[in-house]
Parts: sequence; structure tokens; C-alpha cells
Amino acid sequence: MSEEANPLAVVTKRSRRRKRVGVLMEALATAAAILAIVVLAIVVISVARKGLPAINADFFTKNPAPVFQTGGGIKNAIVGTLIMTGLATLISVPVGVLIAIFDTEFAPRPVAEGIRIALNVLAGVPTIVVGIFIFGVLVVGHGQSAIAASLGLSIVMVPLIARATEEVLLLVPSTLREGGMALGATRARTVITVILPTAVGGIVTATIVAVARGAGETAPLLFTSSIFANSVVTDVHQAMASIPLTIFVDSESPSVADQQTAWAAALVLMAGVLIMGVIGRALSLRTRRQIERAR
Amino acid sequence: MSTRAESDFALPKRARLHLGDLALRGITGAAALTILIVLIWIAYKVTEQASDAISTFGLGFLTSSEWNAVTDQYGARDLIWGTAVTSFFALLFAVPISIAIGLFLSELAPRRLRGPVGALVELLAAIPSVVLGLWGILVMGPFLEAHVEPFLNDHFGWIPLFSGTPSNVGLLPACLVLTIMIVPIVSSICRELFDSVPSDLKAGSLALGSTRWEMMRSVAIPQVSGGIVAAVILGLARAMGEAIAVSQTIGGTARTGWSLFGSADTLASRIANQYQGAATHLQQSSIAYLATILLVLSLAANLSAALIVRRIRRKLGAR
Amino acid sequence: MQRFRRSALVIFAAGTVVLAAACGSGGGTTTVTKNGGATPTDSKVLTGAGSTLVYPLVSQWEPDYATKAGVTVTYGAIGSGGGIDQITARAVDFGASDAPLTADQATACKGCLQIPWALGATVVTYNVKGVPNNLHLTGPVVADMFLGNITSWNDPKIKALNPGVSLPDTKVTPIYRSDGSGDSFVFSSYLSAVSPDFKSKIGTSTQPPFSTGTGAAKNSGVAASVQSTDGAIGYVAISYIAADGLNQALIQNAAGKYVTPGVDGIKAAADAVTTAQKDGSIPLVNPPASAATAYPLSTYTYAIVPKSSPKASTIKAFLTYAITDGQQFGPDLGFPPLPSAVVSSDKTEIASIS
Repeated sequence: MSEEANPLAVVTKRSRRRKRVGVLMEALATAAAILAIVVLAIVVISVARKGLPAINADFFTKNPAPVFQTGGGIKNAIVGTLIMTGLATLISVPVGVLIAIFDTEFAPRPVAEGIRIALNVLAGVPTIVVGIFIFGVLVVGHGQSAIAASLGLSIVMVPLIARATEEVLLLVPSTLREGGMALGATRARTVITVILPTAVGGIVTATIVAVARGAGETAPLLFTSSIFANSVVTDVHQAMASIPLTIFVDSESPSVADQQTAWAAALVLMAGVLIMGVIGRALSLRTRRQIERAR
Repeated sequence: MSTRAESDFALPKRARLHLGDLALRGITGAAALTILIVLIWIAYKVTEQASDAISTFGLGFLTSSEWNAVTDQYGARDLIWGTAVTSFFALLFAVPISIAIGLFLSELAPRRLRGPVGALVELLAAIPSVVLGLWGILVMGPFLEAHVEPFLNDHFGWIPLFSGTPSNVGLLPACLVLTIMIVPIVSSICRELFDSVPSDLKAGSLALGSTRWEMMRSVAIPQVSGGIVAAVILGLARAMGEAIAVSQTIGGTARTGWSLFGSADTLASRIANQYQGAATHLQQSSIAYLATILLVLSLAANLSAALIVRRIRRKLGAR
Repeated sequence: MQRFRRSALVIFAAGTVVLAAACGSGGGTTTVTKNGGATPTDSKVLTGAGSTLVYPLVSQWEPDYATKAGVTVTYGAIGSGGGIDQITARAVDFGASDAPLTADQATACKGCLQIPWALGATVVTYNVKGVPNNLHLTGPVVADMFLGNITSWNDPKIKALNPGVSLPDTKVTPIYRSDGSGDSFVFSSYLSAVSPDFKSKIGTSTQPPFSTGTGAAKNSGVAASVQSTDGAIGYVAISYIAADGLNQALIQNAAGKYVTPGVDGIKAAADAVTTAQKDGSIPLVNPPASAATAYPLSTYTYAIVPKSSPKASTIKAFLTYAITDGQQFGPDLGFPPLPSAVVSSDKTEIASIS
């Protein structure tokens, strides 16, 4: 669009101004994207720089030291997070997948839409309210427990897994379904032996993303597993330490040692979550390509 | 991309009544039912815990700014204000940025960059809120207090927003943390929306001589405006409901005031701070009342976003 | 295909089993039946929650008691108010509070004993650039600061108490506990005793309605807030002063002396006030002038336990440990040992737990 070369082009002040506005807007859009990435870098680098000095073998193998003493690590929190997130995953993957199957295979249209809306609404319930709910149902009268915390995490994770699984199931080409039917297989058999295996990559991705989310959730743990021992606990009827709560409590502490622990724990958590996020994304691209190829 | 309607495949009766089918349909149906049960149960349980406060204070709770454990009087006004202000400013910052990022990823970025840059923006969403809060208290808060807030106070202190004493906690750090949380959500939806605008519409506009920006402004954005509204509402719901990062950065002293500096409190943050240590039963019930208000707000936001999306899907389907 | 089907079924089965277990047992070993039933429950674990004042001491007890008795004690420092809530809901085995139960709380707790198990104190702390440690303050002056009547550090009233100290005109920022706190109870009950203005405007409570300043949760939150705010004045439990390197204000007691918060000052207060109230609490705040060296913001801190509990024997053993062997860890943290009269009356109370 070089106006100088074309003697017929009508170059008005207006067209030049429009062009300048266009360039400005594009620059702003680019700046916005750069801003987002810069903020991400600042946060990640802060956590890495402040957390790295405290990362040593002790950090992973020792339990916290008594109050006001230094040394110690977050062994109990790491074990607790692994157990509670693992438990939550064991509960939410079957439930989420089953819901997705119902939505795509069995539910009539309006019912399926209703369930999808319900899933979105459940996903939008503030996690602190989920915490109050689980507290009222499971903790009052019984005491805190890892099971209560895991159920709270499941409520957060199920909608994520259900929605993502549904997307993958819908991607499975109908030719596969029809083929199964044509061979005389029942609905159930087709789903279990044909559709699910094709979608398993997507389900794994959905699980990884949900686990990354669940491992970092603090609010569901606040009223269900916040009074915990300073040693490793493996009994799921007891409350357990967790990495997010350790970060939460230590972040508000005046002691520099505690703040250091918070940064290091944040580094461990973020590293885990980011790695899971990257793997999940890569897997999801691979699954998509596989299914596309199968079409 | 439609769900399988029952009548698509006429199965012989024998196959239809197969036990495996019934079992699978039963199990999956039960799972789906659990979602509805849990939703209703949440609403019931939270409201039940709030019932004492609701019957004691009624709707006056919403307009009272008392929060006094000695006289056992509580009111949500300061907290509703805090939630409203933090959400409003978070959206104010986040929405333009998110639309801009959506445009960038959809139209402006070189094709090779779109994947990686999009992934990086989404990684912002993967940062756990407690980690953002940690960074907010120990890094961003002090930075705001030392550099940004004094600057704003000195030069623009006549605006009520920038009056007050600079502090390392308060509405401003909380708003910024919420902005960081909302941007990835809204921008990824916007990007998908812009990608979905039919290319012939875009090409047509460009062919008529629009600059790329004009094409976006007059064709793409209006085309998906409904979707953008839904995305903004989802961002709003997220901002209103965030308890952890906000409680870490906002200070915890509820007030109704215009200054962005200095301690304040929101519904979600107060629940996180005070639910477990309430001095009287009525206080605990009042905090559950706060949770009920929060639940109603988030339900309203999520339902309206869902309905907007449904309407858009219908419109698209009808084309 | 076959392999996948089998593994899928295994996963579903596992999930269902877990769900069933979660719903079925609902709390297994820590269930407390409503009428203090006879079923023995796992006595190797004790859970408690409450006061952040006594938390440093309890955290010394945890590993020591685990070695001595093989019982794991888990303690959540969520504030005295939280401790009272949790034990009332029987969500924990014992609660800990520096504030005695109010009449309402005692009724709601349905037969709870409050047993003084440590002696501590709340200390007024401040952070003002250029102002050294051990500033002299009086109760009425502190009350005025928290009421908003004194707004800058070079106020004549503060200057009068500290003639040799140069005070800047920094704004006074009161920092108070935003959660239900025994330290708030001690602080507000002292100020109510010495300042009628404070008593009528704010009063005594675990969550006083302070009208000015900033709230922070738990002792650690107040300490952090004071440290990061120039001009701040707040109150924390005694252990946090030395541990976090905070300044301490010397408060004038009824005898006119400025006593250093510490083991000696607290012990003097405990020696001066020996009669328990009807509810078993012994308030040490603002001891009479006859106790010349008493620190005016001293306090007992109480273990709150149900009169009957399935874990009665474990609780009794732990409490007995706490008031005898456990006291040895106190002095380093600023807690003098319990007076022997209190120990004996505690033992009688503990014996009545079933």
C-alpha cells in the first residue's frame, strides 16, 4: 500500500491517520501480550530466585522444626499433598469420565445441555464456599481429615475432568461408533472397547491438568486439613500437612526462615504444576492429531 | 458436533435391553446426578449454616457495616464494597488487556509464535493462587508501597482513588493480583472467539480497504461481542470468588472508602480469615451468610454466562 | 483392548471403593460419639487447636511427648477463638485459649473444663524508625493510641513518659488481631481496667471492635505487620518478641513501676493473684499495687477439655505431662513454671475427666 508509487491513490489526511491508528492499536495489542509474558517471567523468576537457596536434601527429607527453631523441611507437606491429591484423583477421574460418557452417549439433548451448564456452574463455585460445605458435612463432629480435604478437591476437579473428557469423546469420529454398532455390539461395549481407548490420551491429559489444579488449591484445605501434625501422617482419617497451606501460613509469618520455606515450597509446587501443564498441553496436541488422523 | 440423539440408531429391542447397556447407563446417569445433588447440597448446607444470621439480621445485613464481636452485630456492606471494588478494577485492567491479547494471538502474531505465546499466557493461569499471593505480599506489595503508591499519591492525590497513605497491603495489590488471574481466562476465550469469526467476513472487510484494526473493531469484535460479555462475566466470577490470594494481599480491615491504598476486605477473604476462629456462634453464622451472598453472586454470574453461550450457540447453529 | 478394559474396570472399582469408604467411615478413629460412648478409639493421636500464645510451648511438647509416651500430639495454632469453636464442635480433642470461656461459650461447650496449663503474657510492641527499645508507656496512653486519640508518636503524652528519647512525628498505626484471640482478650481487658474511655467504647473481648488501625491474623501476622509498618504499635504474645526481634514497650503497673515483660514479672503477677473465679479462670491482668514487680499484662492460658471423652485417659496423661514435665520448656520462651497451688488444683480437675 505505498501511496507514493501509485499516482492514482487518494492519500488523504484521513487515510494516513487511520493507518497510524491501526499501527498504534497493533502495537498496543503486542504490548499487552508482552506484558503478560513479562509478568509471568517476573513471578517465576522471583519464586526461583528466592526459593532456590532453601532447596536442599533436608528440605525434602525432614519434617518442620519446632516453632522458632531453624532447620527442618516440608516432608510432611509433600507426603500430605501427594496423598490428598492422589485420593482426589482416584475419586474424580471415574466420576468425571462417567459423567462425560453419560453426556455424550446416553443423555438426550436437553439433559446433556443441563448437565453441561451444571458442570460449568459447579466449576464456578468459589473454592472457599466448597470448603465451608465440606466442613459442614464432614468435619463438624468428626474432626478434620485427609478424606474430607480430598472430597473438597474432587468437587473442584470433577468438572474439569468431565468437560475435557467430553470434548475428547466428541472428537472421536462417529464412524467408530457406527462401526461398533454395525458389528452388533451393544452401546456399553462400544463405549468401553472402542471409544474410551481412542479417547484415553485425552482423558490422561484432562487428569494431568486437573491434578495440577488440585495440587495447588488452598481454600478447600483451609477448614478440612489445616490442623496437622509436624510429622508425616499416612492415616487418611487424620488431617495432613499440605504444600499450599504451608505456603499460605508461612507467607504471612514475620520470621525470615518461614518466608524462605514459603518461597521454596512455592518453587516446588510451581515446578510441579508447570511441568504438568506443559506435559498436558503436549499430550493434548498429540491426542488431537491422532484422532484427526483416525478420521 | 452434536450429541447422539436416541433415535439416531434404531437398535433391536434385544440389544437395547442388554444388561450391560442398562448398567452403564445407570452408573453414568448416577454420576451425572451426583453433580446436581452436590450443587443443591452446597446451596442447602451453606444456607443452613447461615440461617441463624439470616433470621437475626435479614436483608439489613447487606447494608450494615457493623462487625462487632462484642455486641454481636455483623453486616456485609464493607465486604460487598471491597468485593465490588476489587472486581471492578481487576476487570477494568484485565478486559482491555485480554481483548488485546486475544486479538494479538488470533490476528497479529506470526503463525509460528501463536502456539508458544498462547501457551505462555495460559501458564499464567496455572500459577496456584497461593503462590501469586506469596509474591504479592513479599514482592509486589512492598514495591507498590515504596515506588508506585507515593508517586500516585503525590501527583494524583486529589483523585479519591489515590488518596490515603501508601501501604504494602490494600485494594491496589489485591486488584493487581486478581488482574493477573483473570487475564489468562478472558484472553483465551477471546482468542477462540476471534478465531471463530468466519474468515470471509474478515477478508471482506479488509478487501474494502479497512486497516486490520478497523476490521477488528467493526467486524470481529461486534461479531463475538456476546461471547466477550460471557468471558467478562466468567472473569468477574473468578475475581469475586478468589479468597486466598486476596486474603494475603488485602489487609483484612473492612471499610467502605474510595482510597485504593490501605487495608480493606472482601467477602471471600473474610470467610477465609475468620470462619475458623469466630468468637460467637452468631459470628460464624454471619460468615456463612457471607458465603451465601458469595454463592448467589457466583451462581448468577455463571448461569448468565452459560445462558449467553447457549444463545450464541443456537444463533450459530441456526446459520 | 482387553487390557484396557480390565484396567478401566479396576480404576472404576477403586474409585467406588474409596467413595464407599469415605462415606461409610466418615472419620473413623477420631469420631467422638455424642454421649461420650464407651468405644475405645485410637489413643495414639491427640488433636488440639487454639491459642497462638501457647503454641511455641506446645510445639516443644510435641516431639518430647512423642518420645516419652508414644502419642502424637497435633496442634493447630488458629487463635483462642478458633480453639473454643473447634472443641465446642468436638472437632478436636482439646482446645487452648488464653481467654476463659464466656457464659455463652461455656453453655455451648456442654460440660467443658478449663485448666490453666501455662503462664504467659501479652507484650505491647512497636516499630518506629529512630525510637529505641524499651519505651515507657502507660495503659491509658496505649488505650488512647488504639482509640485514635493519640495520632502521632511525638504526642506530648508519650514525650512526658520518655524524657530522654527523641520521638519523630510519625503517624501512629495501631495493629490488632483480626481473628478471635486470647491476646486480644488480655490486651483489651487490661485497657478496659485502666481506661474508662476504652471500656465504654471497645470493651473486653477476643475480638474487640477496634475502630482504627489494621487487623492481622494470629501472633505471627501481627508481628509481621508491625515489622513492616513504620509507626506501628501492636500487641503479641511474649515468645514472639525475642524470636522475631521485636521492640517491647514497658508498661507502668499499678505500683508505678515500669516492669520488663519476662519470667520474673509474670511470676510476680501470678503470686499476687491466687484466687480463682467461679468458672475456674484466674485473671492476672492489672494486678494490685501490692505486687510491685508484677507485669500488668500477664495471663494464664487454659486447656479446654470436655468432661467426658472417649480419649479421656490419653488426654489426662497429656495434661498431667503438660503441667509437670512440660513446664521445663517454658522459661526459655518467657513462660514461668506454674505455681504449685495451681498444679494441685489442676490435678484435681484432671482427675474428674472421664
